[in-house]
Amino acid sequence: MEIITKALLFSSIILLSNCATIISGSRQIVEISSEPNSAKVYINEIEVGETPVQKRLKRNQTYQLTLKLDGYKTYDTKLEKKFNAWYVGNVVFGGLIGLIVDPATGAMFKLKPEEIDKQIKNGTTYKTKHGNIYLNVSMEIDPNWQKIGQLEKLDSY
Amino acid sequence: MRKRTKALIFIAVIGVASCSPRISSNFANPQPELSIDEKVAFLDVEHKLPNNTIKIGDLRFQDSGFSTNCSFNSLMNRARVISRKNGANIIKVIEKKKPDLWSSCYRLKIELHKFNGDVSSLSQYKLKLD
Repeated sequence: MEIITKALLFSSIILLSNCATIISGSRQIVEISSEPNSAKVYINEIEVGETPVQKRLKRNQTYQLTLKLDGYKTYDTKLEKKFNAWYVGNVVFGGLIGLIVDPATGAMFKLKPEEIDKQIKNGTTYKTKHGNIYLNVSMEIDPNWQKIGQLEKLDSY
Repeated sequence: MRKRTKALIFIAVIGVASCSPRISSNFANPQPELSIDEKVAFLDVEHKLPNNTIKIGDLRFQDSGFSTNCSFNSLMNRARVISRKNGANIIKVIEKKKPDLWSSCYRLKIELHKFNGDVSSLSQYKLKLD
């Protein structure tokens, strides 16, 4: 019985001592959508697909996010690493291991869109759910593009 | 008890503040800043530097001891930001140490160059998302 109690105590110490890593993981799901959709998405200048697109990104990095769509202005922002409050759990529960493990795995951070003067970029909305981030970008029309016509669907098709 | 709390807070502060690699740089010949639309080529150790480039400076990435964000792609991405700021469009890796028993980080010596040609036509390393 004593062995079981010790084992349980030991496991709980280990579990409580990596709060952010256990709760959040080292990567975060980032879903990017746009209006209109099918905009090309570039993360750190690498093309990752067209909106809507979902990526699992490392929490301990800052990413450059760019959306490009013909007829619309190029959209640029950053996904910045911010402090993940779960890291404080290590201090509260006295988890020395967690204080080292969480920075090593990057779990002590969470990704959020860049804010300038506490405002995120115009046309951007986001929400976080279950630790994932859902980002929606409303693309701004490029005034240098001029509409010269419209394709019409034929009735016979 | 008080000492222990202080120690935990100290370790937490170290954790927050020191996850980046140590970067040292030397720019002997900086050029006007490049825009984000201008391409920057990544030349790894095995890739050949074209003729007639202007050397802008040197970069060195080292392990700070607590570095976690120091994969090859991550360092090259940082190098690109510094490179554009100083007007260079070629990042040439001249020395590369892979993660080993002593460090979990890539350690790189880099030269930054300006090339007055199309850098996308050069044989180069293709950056990946970690």
